[in-house]
Amino acid sequence: MLRALLYLRLTSLKNLLWSRLRRLRQPKYLVGAIVGAAYFYFFFFRGLGRHSGTPVPTIVPTDQFIPPDTAPVMFAIGAVILLAVTLFMWVLPSQSPGLSFSPAETAFLFAAPVTRQALIHFKLLSNQISVLFQSLFFSLVFNARALSGARALHIVVGWWLVLTLVNLHYIGSSLTLARWFERGVSVARRRSLFLAALLLLVAATLAWIWPKLRAPTTSDMVDVESLARWLLTVLDAGLLHWILAPFKWVLAPFFSANLQNFFSALGPAGLLLVAHYVWVLRLEVSFEEASLVQAEKRAVRRAEIHAGTYRFGRSTPKARRGPFSLADTGWPEFAFLWKNLLSTRSFFNARTWLVCAAAILVASQSVSRIGYMQRNVVTLVGVCALVIGVYVLVFGPLLARLDLRSDLANADVLKTYPIPGWRLILGELLAPIAILTGIIWLALLTGASSFHPTQELPDWLAPSLRYTYTLCFALLTPVIVALQLLVPNAAAIVFPAWFQATRTLGGGIDLMGQRLIFVFGQLAIILLALIPAAVIAAVLIFVTQWYFGLAFAVTFATSIVVLVLAGEIWIALWWLGGRFERFDLSSDQRP
Amino acid sequence: MIEVAGLTKRYGAFTAVDDLSFSVQPGEVLGLVGPNGAGKTTSLRCIAGIIPASSGSIRVGGHDLSIDPVSAKRSLAFFPDEPRLFEYLTVRQHLAFVARIYGVAQHERIAQPLLEEFEIADKADELPGALSRGMKQKLAIACGLLHGPSVMFFDEPLTGLDPLGIRRMKDSILQRAHAGAAIVLSSHLLHLLQEVCSHVLILKRGQKIAHGTVAEVVDRFSNGEANVSLEEIFIRATGGTET
Repeated sequence: MLRALLYLRLTSLKNLLWSRLRRLRQPKYLVGAIVGAAYFYFFFFRGLGRHSGTPVPTIVPTDQFIPPDTAPVMFAIGAVILLAVTLFMWVLPSQSPGLSFSPAETAFLFAAPVTRQALIHFKLLSNQISVLFQSLFFSLVFNARALSGARALHIVVGWWLVLTLVNLHYIGSSLTLARWFERGVSVARRRSLFLAALLLLVAATLAWIWPKLRAPTTSDMVDVESLARWLLTVLDAGLLHWILAPFKWVLAPFFSANLQNFFSALGPAGLLLVAHYVWVLRLEVSFEEASLVQAEKRAVRRAEIHAGTYRFGRSTPKARRGPFSLADTGWPEFAFLWKNLLSTRSFFNARTWLVCAAAILVASQSVSRIGYMQRNVVTLVGVCALVIGVYVLVFGPLLARLDLRSDLANADVLKTYPIPGWRLILGELLAPIAILTGIIWLALLTGASSFHPTQELPDWLAPSLRYTYTLCFALLTPVIVALQLLVPNAAAIVFPAWFQATRTLGGGIDLMGQRLIFVFGQLAIILLALIPAAVIAAVLIFVTQWYFGLAFAVTFATSIVVLVLAGEIWIALWWLGGRFERFDLSSDQRP
Repeated sequence: MIEVAGLTKRYGAFTAVDDLSFSVQPGEVLGLVGPNGAGKTTSLRCIAGIIPASSGSIRVGGHDLSIDPVSAKRSLAFFPDEPRLFEYLTVRQHLAFVARIYGVAQHERIAQPLLEEFEIADKADELPGALSRGMKQKLAIACGLLHGPSVMFFDEPLTGLDPLGIRRMKDSILQRAHAGAAIVLSSHLLHLLQEVCSHVLILKRGQKIAHGTVAEVVDRFSNGEANVSLEEIFIRATGGTET
């Protein structure tokens, strides 16, 4: 029976690889594959094998992928991370049944004369295929340079052991929790019990190591090595030593210094592996029902992704009042703003922005009365807020997809509306523009109100000028956000086949390459669009500051830049609107 | 009301609709029928202004769709086979949104009777996720009718409806036709043609095989025989094959 199941898995894998190879005949996949391969080559493979000739500059010697002085700390920290992952599985388990079957597998296998044990073996073997790929991938990503050395075996087998054990423990914990649930232990009760046990364990550990535990002194904080020594002493003290021991067994082959150590470390790790396997196999719990539910959810998600309506991390839709009162007549653009705001979190509304802005201003006022050290901390908060603002400006438009991209599935209906294309696209863009601008404005406000310099600053950073800069950035924000949002929306209309391909399920080096092309394309277009405005701004500031002062020069230049960018946006909207009116998704779905 | 002349739609070397011409007057219901892949949905999507035609002219409500699409679309409503709804908008909010798009003043005056006619008034504050397939279909139709279109396009209007829903849908189509709307529907359900359509257009491989009133088309393919079923007429007209 297992042979038949293995045939299913291996044939599916072979057909998957074959279909991926065959689709390279299409230029969009071929170009994606070339870019993806180039990315892997330049970031991961280029260093491989070159150390035998001319030395490659690396952080660590190529025969030792981890510097000897940091290895014990990384070993201990790795064990702590594994402990945290394990605890997480028990305290906050996922909703999936542990053994996940695809819709086709549930349809064919659950009704077939296949034993429960055979099904489990089939799933474990299926998981091994992805675990093997993941092991190779992680080895390449994290330890590429060491792969060409003598430690290649340690690394690949080490990753495989860690991932296999995590996978087995996940299945075992999920099935065990399901069994407890079947026996009447509610989720709330189980969670309380776990938390109580966890607290007890932490208390016992602390009580045991408390006499030996000492807070880090100044000498421990002198350099990283001293801090590492202190950390190792703590992690090896009392009960913690025993709690972390099994996790260290799992990691030991990965960190072993030579082949002899590696093989001897395989013993305890192998025993843990066998114990987990027996545990999973002997668990008498029904997974079929939960698997069916999970398979149905996966089928729905797959259909949503295919239709372009799937959004990662979204909440279950709930009926709620509109974000503002929508009049029956007026600009139709606001109908799209209203609709798209309804599709996002309810806290994205004007009241939240006002409350946040007021809170920031009140906090900044109270900060003016605090001492030197606290002011530094507050300034740091301001800098962090500005960094977040820049991050939102650059990456927000790629992530906030509550615009035309999430409405493409409804393109048939949208195109029957009596609205010119450019107005429809403008309407679709308004919600993400409003949300991203609001977040960036709050970040700017935090940055501006938290900046309390403790030393003399040059004239061009005088307080009045700082507020002028803030105001100018605030004016620029919506137009830059709009420009940023236009590019991915344009990509969805101008290159629908590419856009749809990047939204399909599954991976592949070609799809990764396509996504890279999209990201770099977006950056290049934005830079190109900003160049004329930046040149004009530079010339205007340089010329006018001599006559009217810097504050006026910056404000005047900003106003002109806003006009230039608004003009670019209008032209792009006009062009894109025409493209949308002629947009025919069905033509790209044809062979 | 609907005038189509020389409509052609090509996808590369493949011609989905080839030189199609017909017209639909107020009060008429034209049924587009044909085997799978005949070009029914493509024709309907071209005439509704959803996809551009490769060549030919389409006039809806007196407006040329390629020259003045906004005015043409003001008078039409398109109902896809699958109701396309916004999952975060309640029934009432869908109608408010559509009202703003079409500029329907005091839309609630029109919306409430529509909700009652389609028996979804008690679901007005529910999201689409809480509605059955039939109710979603009814909501999509209510949204389409809100602005009082004089031209309507239905793509497989009976898909997923229960017997009662089918009966109501047929009545609704006939009621709108009697009120003076020009209606085009695509379907491969022949009983729908018999009960609802005044005219039939049979397509095969994108080309017009027959066009006229139901009686004219039956006459043409019955070869003088009496009581020939519509199914037999369809098989004779299309040659009994898809391609």
